[in-house]
Amino acid sequence: MARYMVERSFPEGLGLAPNEKGAEVVAAVNATNMEKGVTWVHSYVTPDRKKTFCIYDGPTPEAIRDVAKKNCLPIDRITEVRVLDPYFHR
Amino acid sequence: MSRQGLLEREEPLRSLQAARGRAETGGCVALVSGEAGIGKTSLVAAFTDTIGDRSFVACGRCDALFTPRVLGPAHDIAERHGGALKRALDSNAGRPAVFAAFLDMLRAPNNPVIVFEDVHWADEATLDLIKYLGRRIGETRAFLVLTYRDDELSARHPLRLVIGDLPRQHMVRVELRPLSLGAVEQMASASGAHAQGVHEATGGNPFFVTEILASGGGISASVRDAVLARAARLGPRAREVADLTSVSPGGLEIGIIQQCVAGADDGIVECESLGVMGTAGRVLRFRHEIARLAILDALGEQGKRLLNARVLEALRAKDHPELARLAHHAEAADERAAALEYSTAAAERAAILGGHREAAQHYTIALRHADDLPETEKGELLEAAAWEYQMTGRAEEGLKARDAAIAIWHRRGDVEREAACLGRMSGLLIAVGRNPEADMAMRTARSMLEGIPVGPTHALVYRYHTYLRMLERDVAEAIADGEKALVLARRHGDLESEMNVLNSLGSSLLVADDERGYEHLEASVALARAHGRDYHLANAYGNLGSASGEVHRYRRALGYLDAGIEFCAQHDLDGSHQYQLAWRSLAHLHLGHWAQAAEDAAAVLALPAATAISRIMALIAMGRLRARRGDPGAWQALDEALALSAATQTLQRLAPVRAARAEAAWLEGEDSAAAREAAAADGLARAKRHGWFVAELAYWQWKGGKAVDVPEYASKAFAWQAQGRWKDAAEDWRERGCPYETAQALAEGDTNAKLEAVRIFDELGARPAAERVRKSLRAAGVRRIPRGPRASTKAQPAGLTRREVQILGLIAEGLTNAEVATRIHISPKTVEHHVSAILAKLGVASRREAIRAAQNREVSPM
Repeated sequence: MARYMVERSFPEGLGLAPNEKGAEVVAAVNATNMEKGVTWVHSYVTPDRKKTFCIYDGPTPEAIRDVAKKNCLPIDRITEVRVLDPYFHR
Repeated sequence: MSRQGLLEREEPLRSLQAARGRAETGGCVALVSGEAGIGKTSLVAAFTDTIGDRSFVACGRCDALFTPRVLGPAHDIAERHGGALKRALDSNAGRPAVFAAFLDMLRAPNNPVIVFEDVHWADEATLDLIKYLGRRIGETRAFLVLTYRDDELSARHPLRLVIGDLPRQHMVRVELRPLSLGAVEQMASASGAHAQGVHEATGGNPFFVTEILASGGGISASVRDAVLARAARLGPRAREVADLTSVSPGGLEIGIIQQCVAGADDGIVECESLGVMGTAGRVLRFRHEIARLAILDALGEQGKRLLNARVLEALRAKDHPELARLAHHAEAADERAAALEYSTAAAERAAILGGHREAAQHYTIALRHADDLPETEKGELLEAAAWEYQMTGRAEEGLKARDAAIAIWHRRGDVEREAACLGRMSGLLIAVGRNPEADMAMRTARSMLEGIPVGPTHALVYRYHTYLRMLERDVAEAIADGEKALVLARRHGDLESEMNVLNSLGSSLLVADDERGYEHLEASVALARAHGRDYHLANAYGNLGSASGEVHRYRRALGYLDAGIEFCAQHDLDGSHQYQLAWRSLAHLHLGHWAQAAEDAAAVLALPAATAISRIMALIAMGRLRARRGDPGAWQALDEALALSAATQTLQRLAPVRAARAEAAWLEGEDSAAAREAAAADGLARAKRHGWFVAELAYWQWKGGKAVDVPEYASKAFAWQAQGRWKDAAEDWRERGCPYETAQALAEGDTNAKLEAVRIFDELGARPAAERVRKSLRAAGVRRIPRGPRASTKAQPAGLTRREVQILGLIAEGLTNAEVATRIHISPKTVEHHVSAILAKLGVASRREAIRAAQNREVSPM
């Protein structure tokens, strides 16, 4: 199990409404992810919604790509990351 | 044994019943586990009681013999139910026939229920049978119940691997827990015993509780004491019966008891009524193994020997006594001659049925009693044992046995046998990767044969010699010796050697890029098919696939590997299966099928017990794929691949690993590291004059900026690239169907070639390579470089699912909801649901608008 940051580009801007329909999309994405042991943690989105930085937990980069394809989400780049925050060194 | 309702077993019972219900639409395996005495047998008995007469129920068990009976449970079932299974077992037909007959039994339409008890004691063949059935049970309506003691499974117990292999979707697990205080109180209520004390002493173990309550005495410190306390209430005759039966794991035939104990019948009745034992058919057996062991231990050494001797004598008089039982009692009675005879016979029988672990154990016992055997027989016994040790991975014991046999043949001056044994020993050494020692053994064997007229032993020794040379990639020698070996094998009608040599010879020619190799390997395939040699056929496919891959003929490799993998799956040939999967992932990788490459490689890497060579090739594929994509985890895979390869020291592992690492380093911009990686295997490749490895390693050194001479035997595409002939190389790679390598060559060309390379890399998703070319184009001042993969044509910005995209596409063609439903086989209601989701996601109000919006955003079906 590792944590990955997945960068995605949406030239038309990502359209994910913060309503019931949007929630259905999220539910569908989560269900597909579960089949491969992938968990979507959260994402960072640019204001114009053209680029996202998504944090995922998953077994391998191939699993990330597999569920991305099924969910019809593009991938620019996958990087393995660890969490580091200001409280780490206390 | 009273079954007035098992306490606290309602839920496990319901689980079993529910699983059985599910099995009617697709067969299922249930695993019932728990500590000894937890009541697995009682649970299963309660379950089978609830099954109506219309279903077929068959039970078999595994026993705690020193060496288990091969296919014990299958024998039990065959004895009881006869039919094709019994015929297959009696006729010595061999494994495939027995397994097939068993599967047919499962295919019966009347929802058969099969029970195997105590599979933690299962022999190797039964474990293989379980694996075989588990893989196919989904196509039947059968319900297979396996019980086992989970507290007897060490981390490396073979049953663990079998359980891990069972298909999860057709499996259910029932774990039995100790009884609660409440349950013990209920049980103790009649006898007035102190429930809390009993519960504490027994930990809630049902068997222990029953024993304590039945013994009527105080609370015993251990189960053993409880059993013995109960047994102390038996009259002398009954005790004799119990003692005698205790030496026979699995119970004893009543007929035998009557032979050995005067007035046995009364004794048997008493044992049963006291609840210590029970009858099943014509066999008397202890209610529980724990009880049997307690009584057995109380006998003392002398007592055990005497009773085992009595049982042995009685068994001998039977019609078809089971060899494993005879061997067990002979050993326990310390009757050396009998132990030798029966263990040897049991070993031979076990080997035929594929119970190699059991065969090896039987041979070990036989050898212990073999001191007085005449030398020739002893030598043969040692060699038979050595083979079984080899089959079960006990290399050291195998070598010792071979050495001992060689000493015998040497003493007798039997040069031929000595040479043959040396030949086989080298085969064992090869199997454990000790190639230099194998080489020495081989050469000794060959020199011994020099003075002797050519015979079958020559064929054998030459065959191993050719195989070793092929493995070492001493191609010229392998070909020369192989041709001699082939003539010898054919002349002496040695089919095994002939197939083996055809494989070695064919592979050697192929890796030297000589197409004649295909003729030999195809001939091997034909022979293996004609004689039904599944193992050899699988190997031939594997060689065809891997040797083609080694010389980058990937399209051809894929054809062989697809066929070979399917064949291996059908015949449960796991070793070859893994190796071919790993090579198929490499073929897919180089043909540009990256998703399939990932899938195949992941399948091999997920296996807990894959062979080293399979794992190495899968790691190379995975590492290379990740490096080419720019994904994390490339070095993790390639570092492990290097470590594993270094242990083998063979060229065909080291060279591809180094080439992959060189490429990965270069893609990260570490040019000199790339050159260093390639140089590391360069010497060995040149020593073996391997055209392809030398070429690729020279190429990467050149890419890394190192001056390198390219010998004239180095294979074209890579050699051309290292000499600047990028255009010819690109043509060659294109003909081979390798898009990435084509692009790599183009990237070494002029501006137009580089632009084409970028296009190909983008399409493949090869980010690092594409970036490197873009950088070089920018540095050369080229302006109009394509920007990168057009995400919008690859994905649905609104986050539509695949299904929704599919439906949107059909609507755009003008289909109504009903027509869409018919087209893709779902209900119109579901289509409506999807359509409204699509409208919401696209933020529009009508189908027409949806179609227009989709076209504007270039939504395309995947």
